[in-house]
Amino acid sequence: MLQKKICMLGSFSVGKTSLVRRFVESIFDEKYQTTIGVKVDKKVVSVGREEVTLVLWDIHGEDVFQKMRMTYLRGMSGYLLVVDPTRRQTLEDALALQARVQEAMGPIAWILVLNKCDRITEWEIDLKQIGPSEGSRQAVIRTSAKTGEGVEEAFSRLAQAMLHSP
Amino acid sequence: MPPESIYDAWLAHEALALFESRGGGVFEPLAPLPAWCVSLWQVGQDKSVHLAEKSPFLENFLAEAEEFWTFPAPGARNSGYWVEQDSRGQQYPLEASAIWLAGKRVLTVRSLPGAYQGQQRLFQTARDALLMHERLLREIEKKEILLHCIIHDLSQPLTSMRSCFDLLAGKVTPDAAKFVMTGHRESQRQERMIRGILEAFSADLAGEKSSAQGTTPSADLISCARRAVEQFAPAFTQRGIQLLLAPYWDFERGSRVVGDAPRVDRIFGNLLENALRHSPAGSTVEVGLEDGGPVMTAFVDDQGPGLPQDSSRDRLFALFAKGGDYPGKAGLGLYFCKMTVERWGGAVGAENRAEGGSRFWFRLPRAPQESATPSVPAEVNSSAAPVAPETAWKPADKGRHIVVADDDEISREMVVEVLRARGHTVTGVPDGRAALTELERVKPEVLVVDQHMPEMDGLAVARAIRQREKQTGTARVILIGLSGNASGEDERRAFEAGMDALLGKPFEPNMLFQAVERGVEAPRPAAQPSVSAPPEDLRSHLTRMTAGDEKLARKLVAGFLADFPTKLTAIERAVSRRDADGLASAAHRLRGAFSLFDPHQSTLAARNLEIMGRDRRFEGVEEQFRALSDDLSRLEGELRALFPQPASLKKSSRGRARSHKKA
Repeated sequence: MLQKKICMLGSFSVGKTSLVRRFVESIFDEKYQTTIGVKVDKKVVSVGREEVTLVLWDIHGEDVFQKMRMTYLRGMSGYLLVVDPTRRQTLEDALALQARVQEAMGPIAWILVLNKCDRITEWEIDLKQIGPSEGSRQAVIRTSAKTGEGVEEAFSRLAQAMLHSP
Repeated sequence: MPPESIYDAWLAHEALALFESRGGGVFEPLAPLPAWCVSLWQVGQDKSVHLAEKSPFLENFLAEAEEFWTFPAPGARNSGYWVEQDSRGQQYPLEASAIWLAGKRVLTVRSLPGAYQGQQRLFQTARDALLMHERLLREIEKKEILLHCIIHDLSQPLTSMRSCFDLLAGKVTPDAAKFVMTGHRESQRQERMIRGILEAFSADLAGEKSSAQGTTPSADLISCARRAVEQFAPAFTQRGIQLLLAPYWDFERGSRVVGDAPRVDRIFGNLLENALRHSPAGSTVEVGLEDGGPVMTAFVDDQGPGLPQDSSRDRLFALFAKGGDYPGKAGLGLYFCKMTVERWGGAVGAENRAEGGSRFWFRLPRAPQESATPSVPAEVNSSAAPVAPETAWKPADKGRHIVVADDDEISREMVVEVLRARGHTVTGVPDGRAALTELERVKPEVLVVDQHMPEMDGLAVARAIRQREKQTGTARVILIGLSGNASGEDERRAFEAGMDALLGKPFEPNMLFQAVERGVEAPRPAAQPSVSAPPEDLRSHLTRMTAGDEKLARKLVAGFLADFPTKLTAIERAVSRRDADGLASAAHRLRGAFSLFDPHQSTLAARNLEIMGRDRRFEGVEEQFRALSDDLSRLEGELRALFPQPASLKKSSRGRARSHKKA
């Protein structure tokens, strides 16, 4: 069976682990538990008529305490760049990280994930102000690990993009 | 125990899986594998295994390991933590290392639940703190936005109020005009306070959000204390509480401390507001400073009920803390003091005083001389014209408690303001009896008293004071007389009554300072300008009289323009009724105010009218009245040219002046 490596990237506490748990185990925990290092999960999805095993690398968030090792990205087919829109800084950090990844890995499928859409009234990000928009080629998806909204779609669209990319 | 057994026991104890790379992704255990390894990867103890197939993470890391084994370097290549889960859901935090050992390419994989959890706890705490800090900054930001909205909403009606007061100023009776002026002044003060709050909180926010390095700000603690006392004096007076500035400031090293003046002003303001809330009527609140070598301490002493028994410092100065049974505001004031003072490396505290009441204090480090930046009072910042530095008064070496008694409000205000600007603590009263009452209550060191006041004039006040001092043995008060008739005869009578000095109006501020501060060295009455002296224009005259304080000059001019038509009407009425006493009194009162603005010495007509009234002569009185009206009309024009007044006010008072001229 085809396997594709997906990395979850973004600042700490944006909800990367919660998105993976929602996607793989369909559960959500309100309590924030920081990730140390990497946790790898797998899930089989259907893309069209093809079944693909997604190998999900949930990588710790970057901050002053932990920097991401670029070697973690080796063999990656695509990534979800996760942002917490209730914290404006996480978007800036995410876009800076995306530039580093692109420089190191070359063009690769990715999706900007605006998580925590269940708290949209607290968002500090105006979608019109960010480069990639929902209508442009670069996919931007709103998700909520809490409610599950947009989670399947985010992984599914990334899987499609990975399969169709050279 | 044979060495092999010790070795195996140690490996088991460390939960360490030890493999040798045989190339092609194949690994062979070098020792018995720990239980976690067997459970997680389903590997046999003595069989070769393709580790890359067992673990995606290891597959990734083995590429790094191969690189290390191919191009050896000192030490080892570590993978960092990763977590894997077995078929039963059991999670294993792992760390792998590639090393060269006895010529073998060795891979170690270790399960480290204890170390992993320790690191996780540490990072969890740190990241929780970061998140809390982010949330706090966002809350502060929201509060700042809210504050801006509140301030905008509060300021808007004040603008309308001020316009209304301007419109009213020339259309009401003299008594009501005083209230209008007070309302105008208070609305301006409130606007400044609102702006000050905004600036202080904005500065706090900026300080909270950035750790930008800048030069150490410094503030003159004495100036801040004086400003605070002046600002709060009316509120204390209204509540029947006496507010004093402790008069023992002789700091050899100056009084500059670390901190910026607007926020030090606000700290004093918050402590005074606190004292105002808790002090009973009839009590005294004193502001003072103490030199503590490398630090300076400022305090506010009250005679209130003291601190609640259960109040610790932390509780008193906590956010949203309110004094038990006493009405307060939002509980932000003392918290602001603590937050601000501690940021500058100072401390804040409160304690009960042995003699009753409480002391609230704050302590700040002295400002380094090289980093001392001049403190610019907010009033000067907001003033349209800067104070001319060459004319600004230096503070007195020692502040004194002074009472000023003058029935003419403008003259009184002028004297009060120039003495306050010099650094003295000054109370103004409108007549001789009030001066005696104030003398009992305040026990000032100096009394400045106008010679000519209704009911009890300056001479009678002086005699009463000296007699009382003789009877009671109380300390001698320095008595300074002010007179528009400072002739040799007047001077003789003043000294006979017990005065220490007599100053002629208009007096030079420096002569007043000399008299007040040296007391017994009575200066000669104000000399008339020398004939050979170059003529002085009105602007220069006002600048000299107010030491370049344009705000004070503007205030005095506004008061005079609002007031003189009423006084002129009183003279006119006395002239038409041939009321000698009324003429003498009204002409005297107008002359006092007139002389402050008169560089041309054109108050002669007013003086003549006063003498006519005293002598009960009315020959030529109409000519003198017309001359006075002409003089006032000219002065009014010059003053309005210097300080344009609102159109409505202009029209109103001019209209009155014209009607007087016609009469």
